[in-house]
Amino acid sequence: MSADFVQFIELSIAGFLTLCIFSFLYKDNPFYRLAEHIYAGLSAGYYVGLIWNSVIVQQLWIPITRNGEFMLIIPGILGLLMFTRLSQNLSFVSRVSIAFVMGNTAGISIMQQLHGYVLPQVADTMAGLAVGTDNWYSLAGAWVIFIGVISTLIYFYFSKEHKGVLGVTARVGIVFIMISFGAHFGYTVMGRVSLLIGRMQFLMRDWLHLIN
Amino acid sequence: MVVSFFSGNESVSEFSQGQLVWITIVGGFALLLGVASITRVSFDHIKQRKKDWPYKVVLLVFLAVSGLGGIFEGTEQGTVYDWLFQNMNAPMMSTMFSLLAFYIASAAYRAFRARTLEATILLITATVVMLGRVPMGSYIYEYLPQITDWIMNYPNLSVQRGIIIGAALGAASMSLRIILGIERTYLGRS
Amino acid sequence: MVSLSVILPLILTVSLPISISPESQRLFDRVEAIPDGSTILLTFDYYPSTLAETEPMSVAALRHCWRKDLKIVTLSTVGLGGPNIADRVMATLAEEFDKNYGIDYVNLGYKANYQAVLLGLGQSIRSIYPTDYYGTPLDSLPMMTDFDTYDGFDFIYIISDNGIVDYWVGLVNARYGAEMGAGVTAVMAPKFYAYVRADQLIGLLGGMKGAAEYEYLVEAEGMATSGMVAQSMVHMTIIAFIIIGNISYFATRRRNVS
Repeated sequence: MSADFVQFIELSIAGFLTLCIFSFLYKDNPFYRLAEHIYAGLSAGYYVGLIWNSVIVQQLWIPITRNGEFMLIIPGILGLLMFTRLSQNLSFVSRVSIAFVMGNTAGISIMQQLHGYVLPQVADTMAGLAVGTDNWYSLAGAWVIFIGVISTLIYFYFSKEHKGVLGVTARVGIVFIMISFGAHFGYTVMGRVSLLIGRMQFLMRDWLHLIN
Repeated sequence: MVVSFFSGNESVSEFSQGQLVWITIVGGFALLLGVASITRVSFDHIKQRKKDWPYKVVLLVFLAVSGLGGIFEGTEQGTVYDWLFQNMNAPMMSTMFSLLAFYIASAAYRAFRARTLEATILLITATVVMLGRVPMGSYIYEYLPQITDWIMNYPNLSVQRGIIIGAALGAASMSLRIILGIERTYLGRS
Repeated sequence: MVSLSVILPLILTVSLPISISPESQRLFDRVEAIPDGSTILLTFDYYPSTLAETEPMSVAALRHCWRKDLKIVTLSTVGLGGPNIADRVMATLAEEFDKNYGIDYVNLGYKANYQAVLLGLGQSIRSIYPTDYYGTPLDSLPMMTDFDTYDGFDFIYIISDNGIVDYWVGLVNARYGAEMGAGVTAVMAPKFYAYVRADQLIGLLGGMKGAAEYEYLVEAEGMATSGMVAQSMVHMTIIAFIIIGNISYFATRRRNVS
């Protein structure tokens, strides 16, 4: 079998499955359901192969058996305890593993949020206002950002009723938020359309050779 | 983890690094738990001959082929595992998400109405950004790309910054609640 | 209508000039300034669902880096597909640029729990990745022998379709000071302008347009550039739908009022 023929078969399988998924636009049908279940099965199987090689063999088996890193037996056991979640009687045992992961993740997260997001973003917002009056455009932009940040934060502050100064600031915040959401919507349309263009390029160029 | 952030002590760093390795290992098993769950649900579906049970057989067959292929043959290029991914899984995944373009177009006609001032601002901004971010936009009005850049770098940026700050403060307080044991919903029902 | 708006421009193979955004230009300039022969980290943090937007970015970034003879370490924090996409894209371009595995590029693959991975790499790459994606110990790979932390990378180039960029910025840039830039899908892009302004990201590519801009800057037009006219047509179609929908809404409302 020539390489070109094999490639044609591969592209035809991909093209057929692509059309099966697209058939959902008409209505739910057996072709779509078949493709959907193949996809679900392959995705689950993908994780099996990936975790077997990346975690069980490379991170557990080889370090333990060849390098003598016996401490890694502990996370191996913690990982296996996760599967007790499938049993109604023993599911409480899996909490040990979950708590281990969640505790560590929470500790990482606190510093990540404060040090990685709050401080740099607040610092840049305030630093922008310190620009000298030589650069009026930058200063004006920095004030736009400052007003936008404050009014957005105030809009999402629901512990006090939006009346008076708070109410006016929240109204300004809504205007900024609507502009941002409009921009988001524009970008979202762009993103989804790009994905469709990608599939059409595959169908028409790679599979059917209708375009160069 | 919090202590290791501030402490320059080597023992503390080594301990926290060990914990990070352990988390990656336990995290891998958590992913396999999802696979075990879908396998069990599918088996139950087939055993009870529920509606569309033949599709579950297909699901399990492809799960087995892909999974066992990855275990016995490996996952790199040239294996059955990789072939199934590149020629079946990836095209289907791409196509599923590309369906959204049609639904956005349908929603644009049916639902996007300038009923209020806020909605009007949103739609006008969306229109400007959609035109400014494509080559044709500069043919319609030469400064449209620059206007779009200004929208993204000033009003949009300020709102996103506000959301980042607000969300970060919320996440930090949630993390503190988890550490202090006030928040235990992640453990499931007792 | 939408399908026609996509298909017709692809068939007619019309092209339009592409304007370059400041964020894309910044990213290009920063990578261009990296000394030839240095090592960078290029991530494949995306699912196959967004290949149309992200793969052109990866390809353009790779072309740019290998034109400068940069050594590339790649990894993926996305389990479903990331390592295999990286495998395919790197191998295809390695053939074109005559690059050798282990000497010019290494694929570390995937490890679970991206928070732990990103933080752990800052202390020791080998503790998180004792081997590469193919099971080869890192010490056996010539280009991996000299470093074991982010300090070994002159730049981190993130290509992503999800919020992992937040974690790269919040954990790696904030804690280890690593310089980074990102190419993200259009859905994610609006959020990350805040990071670019705060210099937490050097530059940003947004969606297929961003990929087309980078292809133009790297002088290697590809899939993203060829999709730009179709993108324009569909945008015009959707704007037309919005306008027609609103005209009919206001006309109906006026009729009901009167």
